[in-house]
Amino acid sequence: MTAAAVTSPPRRHRRLEAARDFAVRFSSRTDGVVGLAILLVFAILAIAPQLFVGPLETAVTATGSSLEAPSAAHLLGTDELGRDILNLTVHGARISMTIGFLATLITIALGAGIGIMSGYLGGKADALLMWLTDVFLVLPNFVLAIALAPILLDIIGAQAELFGIRATLLVIVVVIGVTSWATTARIIRSQVLSLKERMFVDRARVIGTGSGRIMRRHILPNVVNLIVAQSVLTFAYAVFTETSLSFIGLGDPFAPSWGEILAAAQSAGAPGLLAWWYIAAPAVSVVLVVVAFTLVGNALDDLLNPKSAVRR
Amino acid sequence: MSGRYLLQKLARAVLTIIVIVLLNFLLFRAMPGSPARIASHHPGVTQAAIDQLAARWGLDKPLIPDQLVAYVNATLTGDFGLSYQFRGEPVTEVIGDRFWPTMILIGLGELFAIIIGLALGAYAGWRRGSAVDRVGGGISLVLYSMPYFVIGMPLIIVFAAGLGWFPTSGMFDAGATYASGLDQLLDFAHHLVLPLTTVTLGLVGAYSILMRSAIMETRSEDYITTARAKGLTDGRVLRTHAFPNALLPMVTIIAIDLGYVVAGAITAEVVFNWPGIGTLTVDALQARDYPVLQGIFLLLSFTVVLANLVADLVYGFLDPRVRV
Repeated sequence: MTAAAVTSPPRRHRRLEAARDFAVRFSSRTDGVVGLAILLVFAILAIAPQLFVGPLETAVTATGSSLEAPSAAHLLGTDELGRDILNLTVHGARISMTIGFLATLITIALGAGIGIMSGYLGGKADALLMWLTDVFLVLPNFVLAIALAPILLDIIGAQAELFGIRATLLVIVVVIGVTSWATTARIIRSQVLSLKERMFVDRARVIGTGSGRIMRRHILPNVVNLIVAQSVLTFAYAVFTETSLSFIGLGDPFAPSWGEILAAAQSAGAPGLLAWWYIAAPAVSVVLVVVAFTLVGNALDDLLNPKSAVRR
Repeated sequence: MSGRYLLQKLARAVLTIIVIVLLNFLLFRAMPGSPARIASHHPGVTQAAIDQLAARWGLDKPLIPDQLVAYVNATLTGDFGLSYQFRGEPVTEVIGDRFWPTMILIGLGELFAIIIGLALGAYAGWRRGSAVDRVGGGISLVLYSMPYFVIGMPLIIVFAAGLGWFPTSGMFDAGATYASGLDQLLDFAHHLVLPLTTVTLGLVGAYSILMRSAIMETRSEDYITTARAKGLTDGRVLRTHAFPNALLPMVTIIAIDLGYVVAGAITAEVVFNWPGIGTLTVDALQARDYPVLQGIFLLLSFTVVLANLVADLVYGFLDPRVRV
């Protein structure tokens, strides 16, 4: 791509072309397109839940009576406080997706940063960082999250707010991010190891470019593909983990994510009372979103990751 | 398997365990105030217990080295402190009571999931694009995307609360007296069916997806071409050549996955009120029973690290190519 610079069209055109080419290739992957469509629906719900179902219902503003089965007034029934399940589930989309998004940001930033540094710097730094990565790979993330979350909550206080986000949610975000970056670091590092030997990196080094700048300007742009694919897969994992953490009581009752709704259903004894509607909507939402992210992530991984393209 | 490989894997496991112990120490001390102050917030903890805590962990002495030494010593001798919630019962006893129910659930779940998942994945990967591959692949992906409790709750609604075939919760009928040991075992099995189905279903998806791609990778190998050229039947090539080779990477994957299985089992136990480590974790979380949480963290991380070590050794034993 460097030698052709003289004859090829200006850089912007090439990028546009590459993007169009990529869109064509992606659209031939049925699974990826289906996943993307599902995600779009949930993204719209997450951006403006009040447009579809009005403001989030609370115990005070609940519109129904306790555990009503689905009816014309409450399409998906009500919970034990009389809140409309459809209302809760649509608002849950915003909370679950926001937590998933923020946790993915932290995971990818840590994973990509550590992977690039480890791969590029090599030597002792590499040995140390990879050892750390190995430890985090083996440590059961979820168990570590369970040990970490209540301690963080006690330190900053469950009622506190940071950057306008309730501390409980922030703790979940941080805990997921801190415990799940290791896979990304491994994948990025192995790509960086081969990039580092390429001519354009050598050239940058020869003309005296510093390590920091080479990593930012030459290595990072070349692993963006991998980062994108990995982010989408991480998002699936983050939503999944958030749901599980909320379910065992680490969520925020005032910001009902899907996991939190399911936790409330469990403690209200909904399964035993045959209140299937209390469980169906949030459960189906979680599964749809995780499946969709996995489909899109796998499609992207096949298209963008040189290694898996060979494999499949 | 070379001695160097063995040493390297052992060293890694030991280092990881050291990190876990240190991390546990740091987490414990990172809490606001000393453990004694935390304890004093619990109504069930007496002044005598707090004094005992302070003496036990050397809380009047500096953090490093005295407190660290006291902590490491205690951990090495299997002393994880006293539970806040259970009126000062030792953590080891509290956890010990809950250990076997979880082991049975996870152990049997792994067993069934490995058998079903590997068979399904191998067949799907071998007959790529067949009906089994397409339907099985779809079901596997959905199962793979379901948190265990999302699998468990519908099972309760249909088979326990709806049809009444199985009990909704617990490990034995409450207050039951049994005529014989066999009756008790049957009651246990009756209670086990739904939680076990949940854990198995939760695992099957991941295993069959991974096995499918492992089998597909072997299809392009030379030894498969050779086996076909020898005129072996298709089924025989799969059973005796592709399957054993695809099993190799699965050994490592199953061990790494154990961390997720533990996580899933915790939520599955909550749904069925199964008296194992999972329900204990949730109780301890709600009561902020830190000594018990720390103990669970240590126990589960040790188990996963050991499982990974065993998997590495098995892998080195099975695969003569390993000469790292």
